[in-house]
Formats: sequence, C-alpha cells, structure tokens
Amino acid sequence: MELSLQKGSRSRILAGLLLLAIAIFIGRLFYLQIIQHEEYVKLAAAEQIKPLTIPAQRGEIYALDGNAPVPLVQNQPIYTLFADPAVVTEPDRVLTVVREVAGGNLRPKIDELLERKNTRYQILGTKLSRKQAELIKKENLSGIGFQEVSQRVYPEGKLAAQTLGFVNDEGVGQYGVESALNDRLVGHDGLLKSVTDVSGVPLTIGDKNINEPAKNGDNIVLTIDRNIQSYVERTLASKVKSLGADTGSVIVMNPQNGDIMAMANFPTFNPEKFNSVKNSALFNNNVISRPYEPGSVMKTFAMAIGLDKGVIQPNSTYINTDSIKVEDRVIQNLWRGETGKITMQTGLNYSLNTSVVTVAQLLGDGKNVDRKARDTIYNYLYDKFHLGQITGVELAGEQPGVIIPPTEVEGNAVRYSNMTFGQGMNLTMLQVAAGFCSLINGGTYHPPTVIAGTLSDGGIFTGAEEKGSQENVISPSSAKKIHSMIRKARKAFYAGNDIPGYDIGGKTGTSQTLKPEGGYNDDETIATYLGYGGNSTPKYVIMVETSGKDKYLEGNKHALPIFTDISNWLIEYLRIDPKG
Amino acid sequence: MIGTRRSERSDEAVARRHRPDYQIVLYMGLLMLLGLIIMYAIGPQRANVLNNAYGTDFYGSAYFFIKQTTSLFLALVAFVIAASLPYRFLLKHTGKILIAGFVACLALLFFGNILGVDAITQCTLGACRWFELGPLGSLQPAELLKFGMLLFAAVFLGTRAKQGLINDRTQTLIPLGAVTGLALLFVVVVQKDMGTGISLIALLVVMLYMAGLKYRWGLAIAGLLVLASIMMILIAPHRMERVMTFLSGDSTSIDDAGAYHITHAKIAIGTGGLAGVGIGNSVQATGYLPEAINDSVFAIMGETFGFVGLVAILALFTALLMRLLKVADHLADMRLKLLVAGVFGWVGAHVVLNVGAMTGLIPLTGITLPLLSFGGTSMVFVAAALGLAFQLSRYTVFGSKLKGNEYEDSRSRRRVGGPRNARRRRTS
Repeated sequence: MELSLQKGSRSRILAGLLLLAIAIFIGRLFYLQIIQHEEYVKLAAAEQIKPLTIPAQRGEIYALDGNAPVPLVQNQPIYTLFADPAVVTEPDRVLTVVREVAGGNLRPKIDELLERKNTRYQILGTKLSRKQAELIKKENLSGIGFQEVSQRVYPEGKLAAQTLGFVNDEGVGQYGVESALNDRLVGHDGLLKSVTDVSGVPLTIGDKNINEPAKNGDNIVLTIDRNIQSYVERTLASKVKSLGADTGSVIVMNPQNGDIMAMANFPTFNPEKFNSVKNSALFNNNVISRPYEPGSVMKTFAMAIGLDKGVIQPNSTYINTDSIKVEDRVIQNLWRGETGKITMQTGLNYSLNTSVVTVAQLLGDGKNVDRKARDTIYNYLYDKFHLGQITGVELAGEQPGVIIPPTEVEGNAVRYSNMTFGQGMNLTMLQVAAGFCSLINGGTYHPPTVIAGTLSDGGIFTGAEEKGSQENVISPSSAKKIHSMIRKARKAFYAGNDIPGYDIGGKTGTSQTLKPEGGYNDDETIATYLGYGGNSTPKYVIMVETSGKDKYLEGNKHALPIFTDISNWLIEYLRIDPKG
Repeated sequence: MIGTRRSERSDEAVARRHRPDYQIVLYMGLLMLLGLIIMYAIGPQRANVLNNAYGTDFYGSAYFFIKQTTSLFLALVAFVIAASLPYRFLLKHTGKILIAGFVACLALLFFGNILGVDAITQCTLGACRWFELGPLGSLQPAELLKFGMLLFAAVFLGTRAKQGLINDRTQTLIPLGAVTGLALLFVVVVQKDMGTGISLIALLVVMLYMAGLKYRWGLAIAGLLVLASIMMILIAPHRMERVMTFLSGDSTSIDDAGAYHITHAKIAIGTGGLAGVGIGNSVQATGYLPEAINDSVFAIMGETFGFVGLVAILALFTALLMRLLKVADHLADMRLKLLVAGVFGWVGAHVVLNVGAMTGLIPLTGITLPLLSFGGTSMVFVAAALGLAFQLSRYTVFGSKLKGNEYEDSRSRRRVGGPRNARRRRTS
C-alpha cells in the first residue's frame, strides 16, 4: 500500500522535523568525517600510538686470559617489585609473601605504601633476583607487578675496578672504560611504535606500527690480562703495606704495541658496591689521572735525547763535581763521591743530576741550557714522547699534566735543567711508561690503549683498529744505546733478584713532593721504578709508584721490589724464552 | 459491509485487514544485522577491555556477539508476538501492562534500593536499574514501564481525542501529567535514568502533538519541560559538566576529563573518514571510547564504516521512521494512530538524541541507539513496539477515509480523497 503523508497534517511537520534533523546530522558527519578527517586522525594517532623503547643491552666488558676473552663486567636482569594499591585485593597475603621471599630487598613500611589506595604505583622493593621474582609471581597476587632492569655484575669482583669504572643508577657509565666508551657500550635503544589499546597493550591494527630492533652495545675486550692484573693487584696490595707506603700504582705495558696489560692502584673499590664508597677519590685511576714529578726515571729520556742528537755516547765522559751551576742556581747530586772524569753510563747508574744537566748543556752551546737546548728537549719530550698531554687512552678522567714550553718565561734554563732529572714537570705514569716503551723497543711510539677489540654476541673477536704508531722518535741506533744504558743501570746495583738469562733493565726515581705553600718537601717523597723485561725483544714495561703521607720513600727501596716481583712472575707467566 | 462486521466502531469500518507494511521488517532487520556485525567486530576488543579491568578472562571474544544474537532472537520473538497478538486484546489490557510496569519498578526499588538484594538486582552508584535473572540475563523494568505508558497514553489520548477533549485540562492533561509524573519519578529520580525519561517524554509529546493538542498547551508543556530540565541540570553536577562540554563545542581537548566521552566519540567518527577503517580495525573500541558497544555504538560504526556507513544507517532509520509516520497518518482509529505515533516518537527520540550527542550537536544524555546498541531489554521492547506498529500497518486506510481530524484542512482532504471515494461508492 503506497502511503503518503496527509497534506497539511501534523505528521508532515513531524516528518519535516525528522528530515531536518537527519540533514543536519549528515552535514555534521560530512564535516567530522570528510573535512576534519585528517585532524581527527592526528588526534587519534597522538593518543593511540605509543612509542615503546626496546632497551638495548649494555655491552659487556672482557679481559684477556692469554688470548681468550673472559668477562669482567656482565649484565644481570634484576626486578623492581611494585604494587598498584588500587587493585591489590589481599594486602595481608601480599605482605606475607613478599616479606618471606624478598625481605631484604623491601623498602621500609611497605604496609603503609599498600594502604595508599588512591595511588596506582608504589615501589615495594628493588633489585630482586629472577628467582625471587618468579616465586612471587607464582602466588598470583593481584595488583603486584615487576619491572625488569639490568644490573652490572662483576664475575671477577674488584679486579681492575678503576680501569672499568661503573654504571650509575641512571644507567650512565662513570669513570674508566664505562664512562669513556659509554656511547659504544649503550648501543641504540630500539623503537616499537604501535597502536595500543587504552592500557598501552600493542595492537596489530593499522599500518602505523614501526619496529626498529634494538642495537645492543659493543662487547669490549680489554688489553688487560686478567691474570697479570690479578697478580699485580695482589702484589701491590701486599707490598704497599709491607714496604710501609700508603698508596701505590702499577702499570704494565707491552712495549711492542702499546697495549696496557695491567693497571692497578691501591687502595681500590668494589664496583658492585660503588654506592657505598665514601671517598670518591677511590674511583680515580691514578695511573692516568694524577700527574706528578716522576723524578730520576726521566734521566733515561734525557740520555736518549743526548744520544739521538749525537751530543753524547754511553761512554762519553764529563767531569763530575757533584754540583753544577745553571745560571744563578747550583744543582747538587744526591749521591756523592763519584767525582772526577766519569762516563755518562756511570752518571746514570748513580743517578747523578750533573750527568743529565751536562747533556742538556751539550744540547745547547755546551755551557748553557740555552734556547736551542730547551727547544730540543721540549721537541723530544712533548712532540716525540707525547709527555705532558693526553695520550688518548680509552679511559675517563685522563689528565694531561704539563710541560712548560721554552716559549714561556717559566720555561727557562733552570726549569729545563730540572726537567732532565724529572722535576719541574707534571706527568702521568701512563705518559712516562708509554714514552719509555719507545726508548727500549727500537724507537717507535705506540699510543697506549686498553682496547684489544670487540666480541660479537656470537663470540667472534674483532681486533681494534691500529691507533697509528710513530716510528723513529729516536733512531734505531740511539734506541739500542739507551736500551743498553738502562739495562746496565739496573745491572749496576739492582739485578740481584732477577731471574738470570733475561734482559731486564730499569731506572729508579725518588721525587720530593711539593709543599702546598711552594717549594719541595724533603720529608715526603714518592718512590718510582720504571723498567722493562724480555729476551732479545722487550716483552713488558712496568712502572711502579708508591707514596705515603709524610713518608720518605725511595725508588730503589719502595718501588723496585714491586717491579722485581712482578717482573720475575711475568717471565714465567708469559713463558718468555731466555736470551739465546 | 465486511468492515462493519469486523469492527464495532464506524470509523474502523473502512480499516479492512490487508497486507502489512513489510518495509518496517526490512529496515528493522537490516539495522539489527548491522548491530550484530559491529558486535562481532568489536566484541573481542570490548571483552579484552573488561577482562583487563576486572583482571579475569571471563569474557570470551564471542561473548558480546552471542549475547547480542540472543537479544536479537528474543527481540524477534517479541516482534512476532506483538505483531500477531490481536491489538484489540492488547488495548483492552493497557492498564494492566502499565500497572505491571509500575509494580516492576516498585519491586526494583524495594529489593534494590531498600533491601539491597544483590542476587536479583543490579545497582551502580546508588541507582538500581536492572533485575538480575541469572542465566536469562537482566531485565530493565523502566523499559516495560515505557511500553506500558505507550499503550496507556495511546488508548487514553485516543479516547479523549475522539471525545474532543484532548485540550481539556482536567479530563486529559492533568491525569496524563499525573501518571507521567509518577513514571518519571521512578525512572529519572529513583533509577537516575535520564535517557529513558527523555525518551518517555518524547514519545508522549509526539502523541499529544498528533492527537491535536493546541499549540497553546504545547508551549505550556514545553515551558514546563524546559524548567524541569534546567532543574535537573542544576541538581546534578555531571549534567552541568555535560552541558558545559557541549557549549565549548569542538574546541575540547582529550585531556579534559569532562569532555572525554564526547571528544572520543568525535575522534572515532572523524577517523572513520569516507569509508571507515574496516571491520575489526576499530581502535577506539579498545577502551578509549566509553560505552563503545552501548550508547557509543554509533561512533564506533562511524570509525568502522565511515561517512558512507553512517549515512546508510541514518537512511535506514529515516526510512523506518517515515514508514511509522505514514502508518500512523493512515490509521483511522485515533488510539491506533497515537500508538504508532508513540512508537515513532520513541525510536525517533532515541535516534536524534543519540546521534546528536555522538556528533557533539546536543549534550550527552546516555541514551541508546535502537536496534544497534548492545542491550537486551531495550532491544526487546523496541522490537515489540515495532511489532505492534507492523500489525497496525495492516489497518491503514487511504487518506480520503480519514475524517474528523480537526487539524486537517477539508479542502485538501477533498482533493486527495476524491477519486478513492468514487471507487468506494462503486464497491459498496
């Protein structure tokens, strides 16, 4: 039956009203869905698409055990236990269970935290182990959740702590390798952009999802040999005590490539408990971060410069009067009595200041440490041996030290005379040890490094890039001569405990400390010993330093024994064949 | 004459029983089907949201689809019953149905609000709206009351109109006002169900209007309603908030808690674009848009089916409503005319208020979209009302046979009816 509305009837008016309303709706829908469509899509995206970061795993740090990488720093998942008090239905059972399983990890007064029903997130405990978390999960408590975080663990304990540094609670590396290589260690967090439901659960709806996998940080393999490091640390700790010093530092390098095989300071800290370290000075790696006046060990450098410049030979002679005048100052020898016509070798053996000042004079006009002499010394120390500047080792907190150039007023003849026996300059042990390597390895400067390479997650080792050595910082023949002088300097008095059949050499150093008010403190000295060992080629360079408040420590008595101990051990550990 | 034999009243003499208006079934069926599709599409998301909220896995992914299918089946049963149960029988018992509605509301008040029997009543925030009938689902007495009011008002106003007393204050308006007031007391005040209250008022207003109420009275009632709504808004802060939200228009942001619902409805509709995001791709249904399967289903459909889909839905509703209006217009018996007009007012008010709210054109009232929203009781009673209208569509007569409509212009009647009269004369 065809029905049409009665003309002029009220139903016509109702129909008109209805159609008007529908027309308005369609107009409105056109506006919302067609005209404003993009706008609402944007609004929806802003709300629905949530970027979730996939945390990249921080790279692990390895040492070498011979040639095989062994882990020093690893990651371990730990769990933060939290509650949503609004959803917790059985607070008493929650309390019983978490106290039983993870009593030691809980925050104080968690019963009060659970009562805050108007809050949605309360952290009940931190650093729960996976096992603890699983035990609690098994209880199916409503309103209880876990957040996985990663924690650094140290399978070797305190080993190489000051080289490693640590990772702070914000996940940022502090000190050492952790800080210097933080960018490489953190990797790149992955990004998962996904349309989610209202509670943030990703949905598979739509084409706006992005899945960018995380790139884990590099696993770094250090040049540190865990066995050498361990021996050095133990030896240092016991000898510092038995020798009567307070603190000490040791660096062991491979003179053939600049690798740092061990680096230790006493006292040290436990990186696992970095939070409870009260004296933050313990975090410093003194080998790289505390420049000092190395003292007589620097005479080896002065002799090398003289030899390389051809102004002396090991058996060149000079007249020793136990004192030498430089401008208005008179420089004395510490060891007295070897007066008369003596060789440079003898001067080095007895560590006579007059010998190296003579070398400095010879580098000039023969009488004065003139500008020419000073320019030459500066050129060698700074430009060739890279002293008084950052070495670029991959560790945080390295200090440059200072060598005052002759262009400055301070860089006068007196200072440069003092510098020949290790005063008037501030150098780190690392700088001195790295420079020393080039004296005994044939004249090549290798920038020191702690990075051997990287280890892929599959365990494949890739060597680090060469850092660019500098050959002929002194000529091979000069290197041969200074090598021999250093060997003889040790042989002269201190080789008694060395394993026979090996080439071992070194030089003592005893340096006064500087008084805060200026001038030298004769009652407090730092003992240093710098030497090498090996067969026809030197295999290791060891530099030892000990010091103590108000303690008079001498290189031959308070540093040398540590060198000898480590040196003898290294010959066995490295299975070095005796000289042919 | 067959007509006079079949009916006791002269004005029904012409209303011979004939083929019903199957378009009503067609449009209703299509809308129900769309409702089922959207329930199938967003049911899993909805189930997920509820499972998360209550920390259970009680709601399976087909839960809402199955529930809606059950509701639709019950609704179809109600439709068939209402369509086949003779209307005269129903009209005789309108009073009983109305009383049943009041009794049900009273029982709900007693068991729910006073005794607080959780086992058989369902209350939220001090408002009890449902009886819990275990595996049979839940029942909303207000819907029964509304259905009762529809029947009662149709008979009451139809009779009064025939007596020419429709504009009589003491005989018509005050009694109707008293019953309506009582019904609103239960629905709006006790059950705090503003949506059902508004739809009740809307259907009564349409009936009064169709019954020929003078505009003077219409204005008075409108004034009363405006006063009442201002009062209702003032006493409930959440309503005030909704009005403020409405007044701030499209400039609301998603961070504004009060505007959250309407803003998300607009986001859902807006993201749908021309053709929609497609079935199963609704994101707003995953918990962003409140009442996604009930009151907000129109917005979810906008997201899913886009502009094209919503226009189609509006077209279906318009077609259905126009059929109802035409059926009402062509019923000779004033009671039946008003009954169908009431159904028109009922469905029409729900559509206009729901779509208007979802598109941000009128304040949010919390009213369902008939035949599409999830919910058993309202579906069953809307289907019953439509079933009744369907039955009555058998008794429509041509315009020429309608008489005594005081608002009708006699000139137009003559012109429209002319040729038909001629045919009748030949047959009689």
